[in-house]
Amino acid sequence: MMQTDTTLESALDALLMADASALDNKDMMGWLANYSEEDEASYICRSAENSENALALGFMYDDCRSRLEDRVTFVNDIWVGTFQDYRTRHFVQRVAYQRVDASTISMRSNFSVFMTPTDSGITQVLAAGQYLDTIRLEKAGALKLLSRRAELDTSVLPRYLVYPI
Amino acid sequence: MTEIGLTWPKNFNEVPKAAFTRKDIYAEEMKRIFFGQEWHPVAHESELPNPGDFKTFRLAGVPLLIARDREGVVRVFYNACSHRGNQLETAVMGNKTEFECPYHRWLFDAKGDLVGCPNHRDFLPGFDKSDYPLAQPRFDSFYGLIFVTLSAETETLTEFLGDSQNTLRELLGGDGRLKLLGYQKVRYDSNWKSYTDNDGYHAPLLHQAFKLLNWQGGKGRQFAATKHGHICFESALSVVSGPTVLKDDSLIAFKGQDPAVGSRIVSLFPTFVSTKHLDVINLRFATPIDEETVEVHYAYFAHQNDDEDMVLHRLRQSSNLLGPCGLISMEDASIFHRIHIGNHTPGNAIFQKGVHDQSKLDSEFLQNDESGNLPRWEYYRSVMGFERAEA
Repeated sequence: MMQTDTTLESALDALLMADASALDNKDMMGWLANYSEEDEASYICRSAENSENALALGFMYDDCRSRLEDRVTFVNDIWVGTFQDYRTRHFVQRVAYQRVDASTISMRSNFSVFMTPTDSGITQVLAAGQYLDTIRLEKAGALKLLSRRAELDTSVLPRYLVYPI
Repeated sequence: MTEIGLTWPKNFNEVPKAAFTRKDIYAEEMKRIFFGQEWHPVAHESELPNPGDFKTFRLAGVPLLIARDREGVVRVFYNACSHRGNQLETAVMGNKTEFECPYHRWLFDAKGDLVGCPNHRDFLPGFDKSDYPLAQPRFDSFYGLIFVTLSAETETLTEFLGDSQNTLRELLGGDGRLKLLGYQKVRYDSNWKSYTDNDGYHAPLLHQAFKLLNWQGGKGRQFAATKHGHICFESALSVVSGPTVLKDDSLIAFKGQDPAVGSRIVSLFPTFVSTKHLDVINLRFATPIDEETVEVHYAYFAHQNDDEDMVLHRLRQSSNLLGPCGLISMEDASIFHRIHIGNHTPGNAIFQKGVHDQSKLDSEFLQNDESGNLPRWEYYRSVMGFERAEA
């Protein structure tokens, strides 16, 4: 039986919470800060329906660090003032993790995201699904996302997306 | 047909907002338009490339099963067992050469023939399986784009498409030999007409991205095709020049062969919008859910001649540029919602840009004219039987 690494689990949960907190606070620079500085850092948001049918297309497909930085520009600069804003609340729960090598961990977590548009004030579920993460253990002991795939059980979104999930 | 009380404004550039919100009008639209004499795109053959591939889709609530048989022939069926009408296939897509109804185990092949049913000795005398194939709506295709009509009276597909055919062919890669990349599916809190009225036409003033990306355009052609008022846009590609705010500008790069066919939009009455912009090929299969909601399935494609790099480029560009979360289209999605909310106020929506004379319709427009929507509105008015107020 594998020994539980409570220190590592706490650190993994802290990373999950930091991402959820950044998104719920619309803090895109904080969101970006959860990702590794490596060029290969990526965030892909895709329906499970696409994945299960070997269709790679996503709702968001940021497959390098530059695109992650551009995602911040979309939200903070390009789209400002053009959409009906909404609050989100991300609920996340780690389900499983595995050490891949000395500096890499894979982790699977469930998520559900509530959405409350500021104009209607009515809360509904925006999406549910799972995060499939690859996490880098950096030299200073920090954990950063090397890749995240937000795989949505919600194949039909109830509205357009502004913020990553 | 039921007569519905709605007086249409005398000016061709005005549309009563009540047409977007009234339940009785929506119910009549179902009869006159969605079950009427129109063709509705429901799939492209490249979504089911292999023998046995299938896709299900609901067109105005009607469940459809689109299936490719072992010999490669694609057919459209009603997705309901020919026995008691049970929904036959529940998956959105997949691969099967036989479809079994779980209720009484009736089994159909991908040609729609009933090939098995247990206990048929207990059925009516003379029961013959060949009398019970899956029922089919009328369907036809254009460069692989599969259309369905729910009326026996509809004109041919060629007549329906009319002068939109060449633009649509170019949009479909020139030969229709596409390769599916995937879907983005979304429901908008919007009447179906608010969606189609604002999706094909992209008001550049809305898009901050054009300014920040140093992206100039607006020099193309827009024309209306057939009495249905299909809208076609043709413009040479306008590419970003000079510095942009993006760190990875491959998102807005053009790697295709011919800039002359860089940008195409075809919006077919009543709900279909399709676009080829930069290297994105996007077919939007839309269907009304109720008078306040429309569901849109954005399907994205590569071309079968693409090499691996080009497919990856299209995949990255398609995911991030033109859909419900796209760099230059998320604002459009927001407009669908906001215009529908605004339509719950009295009065008329008024078109201005490109309107030269309120008392008549044009058929040729500039790329950024909003008047290109007006022939379609005149067709809608006539199909719905709304009388225009006298001048």
